Amino acid sequence: MRVLKIVPERCTGCLRCELACSYMQTGSFQPSRSVIRVSPFEGHTSYAPYTCTQCAEGWCMTACPVGAIVISPVGAKVVKDDQCVGCKLCTIACPYGTMFYSPETQKAFKCNLCSGDPACATACPTQAILYEETETADWLGSFAADRAERRFAVMAETSRGR
Amino acid sequence: MATRHVIVGGGTAGHNAINAIRQEEAGRAPSEIVLVSAERPYSRMVLPYYLGRSIAESHVYTATPARLAQLAVTTHLGRRAVGLEPSAGKLTLDDGTAVPFDDLLVATGSSPVRAPVPGVDGPGIHSFWTLAEARGVVAEVETGSHVVMVGAGFIAFTILNPILALGAHLTIVEIAPQILPRMIDRQGAELVEAWLRKHGVEIRTGATLAGIDQVGGKRRLRFTEGPDLDADTVIMATGIRTNLGWLDGSGIRVNRGVVVDDHLRSSVPTVYAAGDVAEGKDLVTGAADVHAIEPTAMEHGRIAGANMAGRSVAYRGSLLMNIVEVCHLDVASFGRWDDPKAEMVTTVRPDRPAYRKLLFHQDQLTGAMILGPSADIWTTNDVGMLKGLVQSGVRLGAWKERLRRNPFDVKAAYIASRTTGRLLPETVLGRPSVPPAVVPSQI
Repeated sequence: MRVLKIVPERCTGCLRCELACSYMQTGSFQPSRSVIRVSPFEGHTSYAPYTCTQCAEGWCMTACPVGAIVISPVGAKVVKDDQCVGCKLCTIACPYGTMFYSPETQKAFKCNLCSGDPACATACPTQAILYEETETADWLGSFAADRAERRFAVMAETSRGR
Repeated sequence: MATRHVIVGGGTAGHNAINAIRQEEAGRAPSEIVLVSAERPYSRMVLPYYLGRSIAESHVYTATPARLAQLAVTTHLGRRAVGLEPSAGKLTLDDGTAVPFDDLLVATGSSPVRAPVPGVDGPGIHSFWTLAEARGVVAEVETGSHVVMVGAGFIAFTILNPILALGAHLTIVEIAPQILPRMIDRQGAELVEAWLRKHGVEIRTGATLAGIDQVGGKRRLRFTEGPDLDADTVIMATGIRTNLGWLDGSGIRVNRGVVVDDHLRSSVPTVYAAGDVAEGKDLVTGAADVHAIEPTAMEHGRIAGANMAGRSVAYRGSLLMNIVEVCHLDVASFGRWDDPKAEMVTTVRPDRPAYRKLLFHQDQLTGAMILGPSADIWTTNDVGMLKGLVQSGVRLGAWKERLRRNPFDVKAAYIASRTTGRLLPETVLGRPSVPPAVVPSQI
């Protein structure tokens, strides 16, 4: 299936993906309502977006006590609003931290791949977010670990120098 | 391979087992499945939303008659199992019916227990466990009525929001010195108690109920110490016990629950057990435990079903986890959050309120507690990431120290420890999940 492939080295931290996502999902430009999240790394010198991988287990889907999370035609795990009761089981079941809950609607929400035309990928000006036929993967792990190691090394030297 | 499966219990474990059996069988001749259930199958987890009138009663049913027909399941609904003879492959029901089986799943769940004091079975006093009991509470609680909740555990906390939303006054009494004694620690409990008091809920902890009298159409609760309490409605949320009595004489090994191996098989190879009645492996400790939580029942049911359908699937173990939201405050805990041997760090912001507690063995997270306003989106995201860190047991290395310094900054540690990469190959059944509502077309 096509998945959101993240190329973190290309991310500029412009947050267009968050704006596009929140607009597509909720009709308003509010990064706080986006289900893709840009995080800073190495002291705000690097950035990368993080979102649902549409994992094989679908921890959110199997946890739902009323079957409100299903697989859409494009392979995304999606919340059916009219079925979700807002019990939050999916938010503790998802081990990736990519479930969201709206206190206003009292329902869970998540990345649904915009029914096959993800707004984040379209909005990204540097192709840091691609929508491609590929295996889903840990797109950010090594990128974040490398940047952290450099920072940890510097901090360790600094504390020794004192 | 077994051709006749009998599922005893139509709750989460039983329902998931049926789905798993049919999913495994896709493409081959279906086996016979018989469901024995004392009640029409429904989801206990969503009863609080039915109480709060945010969903209709029809919304609580899981394996509806139509769905069971699609899945080609024959049923004995409204019947209880009373005897099991594994060597004869025979289950006996309370109307005397004998049900033969090749293999059988014990998924009879648990039942509420009322405080052992005089007067607890009188009118206006309810448990909130079954759908029938929920109907009783729904019929009584109304604007301005005074509800007294005896017991402040997880089940009690799942129905605080609907009771308050209905406009009732609520008093919680708890025998332990704190609320949610099996879900959060003392410090977390104090924050939740203060939050609830701010939202108009009265709380009496360390209060031992002595009895309940019927006085002038109301319930009068007497305590071993302190003043009486008058209530329109009393809800007894004083614990549960596993439904194991019917297995007496079956020869099946029972400890606190039915002892099961990593295939959810009991001491008798043709009998499996899942959910609240099963004593299975805990993911963090590796020891046998009875969790009695929805996610464990779901995973147990799926593993048992897949094995009953003839595929050998080993279970990694269940992760203890709970989440409850009260008046827009999220409270969750994972794994061994109360482990006295763990290295522990806590941080608290009483004004939010927000509280985190992380527990480590070496550089692995083995338990966590998190408390924060539901409106804080990152709280919800951190709930999931903390679960992922405990579930994966990823080595945190230098990130452990960072987490110790600031337990509110989970995401950087989560991503850079390559937790996602550890988790992606993980599936409960060793294959991608099928949505529970899908019916394999071959049936």
